[in-house]
Amino acid sequence: MVNPILLIAVPLGLGFIIPLLGLIWEKPTRYVPAAAMVFNLAASLLLLPKVLQRPWVVETAGLPPPFSIHLVAGPLGVGLSLLIALVGLLVAIYAIGYVREGPVAKYHSLYLFLLTGATGMVLTADLFNLFVFFEILCISSYALVAYHGDRAGTESSAKYLIQGAIGSSLVLIGIGFVYGLFGTLSMADIARNIDSVSPMKLFLPMAFLITGFGVEAAVLPLNAWLPDAHSSAPSSISAILSGIAIKAGLYAVARVLFTIYGADTIALLVLVIGILTLLVGEMSAFSQNNIKRLLAYSSIGQIGLIVFALGLASALGVQGALFLVVSHALAKSLLFLSVGYMIYRTGSMEISSLYGMGRRMPVSALCFTIGAFSLVGLPPFIGFPAKFTVIMAALERADPLFTALVGVVLVGTVVEGAYFFRIVQGLHFRPPPESATPARADQEEAPVSALVPICLLAALIVAVGVYPSVLTHYLGPAARDLLDKAAYIHHVLGP
Amino acid sequence: MSFLADYVHYIGCFALVLIGLYIVLVKTNLVKVIIGINLIDTGVNLFLVSVGYIRMGTAPIFSEDGAAGKQMVDPVPQALVLTAIVIGVSVVALGLSVAIRLYEHYGTLDLRKIRELKW
Amino acid sequence: MRKALSLVVLLVLALGLASALRGPSIGAEANRGELLDDQKVNFGRRYNSRAVEETGASNVVASVLVTYRGLDTLGEVTVLFVAALGLAVLLHTGRDRKSGKEAEAPSLIVFTGCRFVFPLILLFGAYIFVHGHLTPGGGFQGGAVVASGFLLIYLGCRGRQPDRQRLNAVESLSGVAFVVIGLIGLAVGGSFLLNFLPKGSPYALLSAGIIPVVYVFIGFKVGCELGGIVADLSGARR
Repeated sequence: MVNPILLIAVPLGLGFIIPLLGLIWEKPTRYVPAAAMVFNLAASLLLLPKVLQRPWVVETAGLPPPFSIHLVAGPLGVGLSLLIALVGLLVAIYAIGYVREGPVAKYHSLYLFLLTGATGMVLTADLFNLFVFFEILCISSYALVAYHGDRAGTESSAKYLIQGAIGSSLVLIGIGFVYGLFGTLSMADIARNIDSVSPMKLFLPMAFLITGFGVEAAVLPLNAWLPDAHSSAPSSISAILSGIAIKAGLYAVARVLFTIYGADTIALLVLVIGILTLLVGEMSAFSQNNIKRLLAYSSIGQIGLIVFALGLASALGVQGALFLVVSHALAKSLLFLSVGYMIYRTGSMEISSLYGMGRRMPVSALCFTIGAFSLVGLPPFIGFPAKFTVIMAALERADPLFTALVGVVLVGTVVEGAYFFRIVQGLHFRPPPESATPARADQEEAPVSALVPICLLAALIVAVGVYPSVLTHYLGPAARDLLDKAAYIHHVLGP
Repeated sequence: MSFLADYVHYIGCFALVLIGLYIVLVKTNLVKVIIGINLIDTGVNLFLVSVGYIRMGTAPIFSEDGAAGKQMVDPVPQALVLTAIVIGVSVVALGLSVAIRLYEHYGTLDLRKIRELKW
Repeated sequence: MRKALSLVVLLVLALGLASALRGPSIGAEANRGELLDDQKVNFGRRYNSRAVEETGASNVVASVLVTYRGLDTLGEVTVLFVAALGLAVLLHTGRDRKSGKEAEAPSLIVFTGCRFVFPLILLFGAYIFVHGHLTPGGGFQGGAVVASGFLLIYLGCRGRQPDRQRLNAVESLSGVAFVVIGLIGLAVGGSFLLNFLPKGSPYALLSAGIIPVVYVFIGFKVGCELGGIVADLSGARR
């Protein structure tokens, strides 16, 4: 059986090897991230049935938890690492052809470290270790956002770095308080002792931890960096930042909220923040002319919806949130990837310059349409069952307040539909702008290395949309993994 | 007076954090902002060390003449601080290189003038 | 306006921190009485009382860093590596920074002095990371000393720069070596970063199993990385 630590150790080792390989022979370096992710995908698939029976607690340094850093490979951790490996693999394949300029070997190394950081975050059960992997994720994304070294990229990287650095300092202060209060860093151990400390003393550390991780998760007051960073990065990086990086931040917030803190007391606050994030995100997206900024704002809206679902704090709510995480990861990376070559061909990010691309790049445009419809939540795609689950979870409460909130969510969806339909209509039915340079016929459609991941993502979106039970089978245990504090403590520390 | 003796290290490190935060919020020169981030890091590291401090404690290193284990300060925060310092250095180094690039593009480090994108 | 607003934010934060620290305070000093009570898990107490017997290193911080929290250290090494890579990426496409005015050659005294001191600094750095498990210091500290030697070369002996390619190779190789040591532990004893080498007798140079080995690799890695960062920032590469 594969030890879950290999999910971290193997990509990390390969990440160190890439620059070495780059010194000798640069060409093969671009296949290394894909190879590492194939390994992670296979290992996660192997692990998943086993951890559904019982989470696998992995010790390091030969000591039982909590005295050394340990990992908990539960349904949620392995499920998310599967998602990371899947999206990471597809984006890595895309990047083989897409990233041609600049220090290519370093790009692939940083990219692999970013994915390793995300994988480590979802698997670790130690608060400080979570912070360390969080930093690997953050620092590699600061660098990757500025990969092209252009004005926009550098500027957004600077903003991202400043806000991210303050966020990490807050997390660190929170960890300092937690260690001072409990004398332990194991999340299960902290959760076990959480009631021995008065809520007054607990409030500030928890607020620091949640705010700090919330910067990466881009919840409402902390998301000023996101539209810039996601729109200025290379498209493959935008895809992974939107698809994976914010989800990892969100996972950290959810872990702290549910497993350590027990969210019942502040669930309503989380709900309100989620709704506000959703509205602000969708409204800002509506008024954008830049396609990548629009997609970035739409990510904020979707994050708001996920936070809203988490704030419901019920089994069905968290299940819906996880469903949305999967659906958004697939759909948003599909959107960024398919739009990447359209921008490359037209040389502009303005929506109006993409008009008529449906004829020039039919496959990319079709896949873009699938991704957009899925995000809006139209039936045969994965977005529909995801949104449906969330709305069911909210209506389950049978409370006029929640019914009203569902109304707000639907308004958000209508706005989302409006701007996505505008683009889709433009792509397929509007004539191309006069100024469009007639490209040579042989370089119209995106190359095969880009079309394979795009089509695979689209196929996944349709497949899971048609047979949602493939996924829902795993979402229940994963939601319980997050919500059931007692079981988590029991698995890690024993009875 | 015992109040001061009990809290002086916490007051000191949080003063550093707040000064750093003030610099980040108010100053518009990118290098100054990075200095502010560095100050915050320093304050946080001091805080972590002081969490593990025991009055009259010694460094957690045994020697052959045998020091008593009870008198040693907590080693874990020290290990954490070592990690945190390295992470802080990494962020600052990356921030400075971003500043170099920005200066090449704009000829200035004033964040008010570097606003091609909306803030 | 901005100043006033920031001051308000800071004031609120300061009040919050003050209230969180008030009363029976946090930290090892405040919980000193509790340390005797065995019910509650406390990392520090446990490590101080058991680390020497469990890892064979007399420096408890070193044993915490390399064994108990070894995964953190691996992550930390990665963070530094990522930062060095990111720096190289960011400064890669930049304009040629060697614009016109060549730096003035240092005087003979400075030049010779630097060349004389450089090996001594390297030796001192190596001493620190080799003795990391016995005395204060360790891989990171030793590596930082080594990097200060490189800094001296950049400042005092222009024209005599270490080979960047070799620095990068050493960096990557030591990272790989760290992961491989962890994986050997996994293969031998079923647990990542297991201390699989004989522990030896405490206080001896050859003791504590993998701790000195890991520290040597970290020392090399950090030294080369920080040296590389200094080189990149000073634009010496072009």
